[in-house]
Amino acid sequence: MAMKPILEIRDLEHVYMKNTPLEHRALSNVNMTINKGECIAIIGHTGSGKSTLIQHFNGLMTPQKGTVIVDGEDVLNSKIDIKALRRKVGLVFQNPESQLFERLIGDDIAYGPLKMGLPIKEVRDRVEWAMEMVGLPFDEMKDRPTYALSGGQKRKVALAGVLALQPEILVLDEPTAGLDPRSKIELLDRIKKLNRKENITIIFISHNLEEVTYMADRLYVMANGTNIIDGTPSEIFSNKNILKENNIGTPETVEILYLLQDAGFSIDSRQYEVDGVANQISSILQYFQEVRANGISV
Amino acid sequence: MASQFELTRNITIGQYIPTGSIIHKLDACFKLLSFTIMLIAIAICGTYFGNIVILAFSIALFMLSRIPIRYGLSGIKPAIPFVVILAILQLLFYGSVASGGTVLVKSGFILITTDSLRLVVVSAMRFVEIILISSVLTLSTSTTELTHGMERLLKPLKYIKFPVHEFSLIITIAIRFVPTFAMEMEKLMKAQASRGAEFGTGQWWRIVKRTKDMFPLIIPLFNSAMERAEDLILAMEARCYTPGEVRSNYKRYHIKVTDIMVLLFSILFSILILFYPFPY
Repeated sequence: MAMKPILEIRDLEHVYMKNTPLEHRALSNVNMTINKGECIAIIGHTGSGKSTLIQHFNGLMTPQKGTVIVDGEDVLNSKIDIKALRRKVGLVFQNPESQLFERLIGDDIAYGPLKMGLPIKEVRDRVEWAMEMVGLPFDEMKDRPTYALSGGQKRKVALAGVLALQPEILVLDEPTAGLDPRSKIELLDRIKKLNRKENITIIFISHNLEEVTYMADRLYVMANGTNIIDGTPSEIFSNKNILKENNIGTPETVEILYLLQDAGFSIDSRQYEVDGVANQISSILQYFQEVRANGISV
Repeated sequence: MASQFELTRNITIGQYIPTGSIIHKLDACFKLLSFTIMLIAIAICGTYFGNIVILAFSIALFMLSRIPIRYGLSGIKPAIPFVVILAILQLLFYGSVASGGTVLVKSGFILITTDSLRLVVVSAMRFVEIILISSVLTLSTSTTELTHGMERLLKPLKYIKFPVHEFSLIITIAIRFVPTFAMEMEKLMKAQASRGAEFGTGQWWRIVKRTKDMFPLIIPLFNSAMERAEDLILAMEARCYTPGEVRSNYKRYHIKVTDIMVLLFSILFSILILFYPFPY
């Protein structure tokens, strides 16, 4: 399949409060190429420009310098339909549950499609689809009041509100922040399903490296407003030097592998996922057992 | 377009420019008092010369505080249309009220006299003066200092059972949360715009529609304000805040000679401005 980038960023730059004493360079020289159907993670420390960057994806911010091309269209093109762009690139902010405003769940999710001017039948279908996608049963939940929901459920409603626009790219800013572990996993699985089954391109910001290894096809590491490195999780996490040079934390599983390596065991650092690490540990344990059974002291 | 959502940048309330000048070091209590006296003088003074002197004095205040004058001018800018419209109205329709002096123009219902002309010019100058000196006050005093100063100034009202401390606490909290809510609003605008919302794009006469457009912002903002208020209550009570209790202050204020000098100076200056027989 010939890969055509759905999102291309070239030499993007952004300066906050330009020409004031409080001038602050948030982005410089950012370059990214994201293909259709990929699941991309963006990681980086606080203040590395991640949130500023994703606001360029749907035209909330326009490039001061450089270009952002979404599905072959330059966002700086004066003829671009900004509302169509925002439908194509669905953006879910941090703690999106705070944006709910309708009394009933179904009404809140229907806000976007209604704004598009779709016929009521179509709106209903979209709301139903979006609610099923995030795991809220349509018939049971659509007429429930939003204020009576738990934090995790509110977040699902907010996510459904963006999904109802049927975006081709879904951008999420720390989707699991502040959720309990169970809701976290559930939400991640829902997002993964959107990516695999519905072929929606996913771009998400995360601080949790376990999450990144679980979800992402590729990841971009940002620091001081630029993307310093990118690659598949195994490329990045299996390379000790890259991790060290760029001051990237490591997932717990990778940490264990490197500890074993330092202790003198031969390990395969590309097998960093939970199953792979478990297999390696059990084979090491097995080795010990055999040694002991043969009566050789270690 | 790029700045469509940048609300926080335009907020000047609570802006404080520390330069460490003599004006910054004054006690906020005396600064407020002097400011009030000057305000009264400006409001009463109706002569050309008097206002020129006050205008020069306000500019001198800026220099003394070492704050760039453009900060004061940027406060004047948004008031210009208002001042101009007011000046035109006064010029056209105030002739019959301020009918003293000689008649300059008389045609139809328009009557312009030297008195009404003076009223127009003096009003415009008053505007500029008030904006300038209040800019000096707010730019050279942090909001905490200002509210503490106000609290001390209002202290005598305690004897008539006016809740001085509570009043100043309310003002402190209100000012403190302006930037916070602006930030929240910015985030909400962006989030709702991402879902296809539009703000302020409908025709102005469709008031109901334009108001409805704001619901997706105002309702969540209200919600979060309530939540913040509850958090604030908890945080304050966790630190043993008790309403109505006598509270000591972290900062002690000692009245300095310069503070009293400044107060005396502003009283003398105002008397001079008001009673000196300026020829115009």
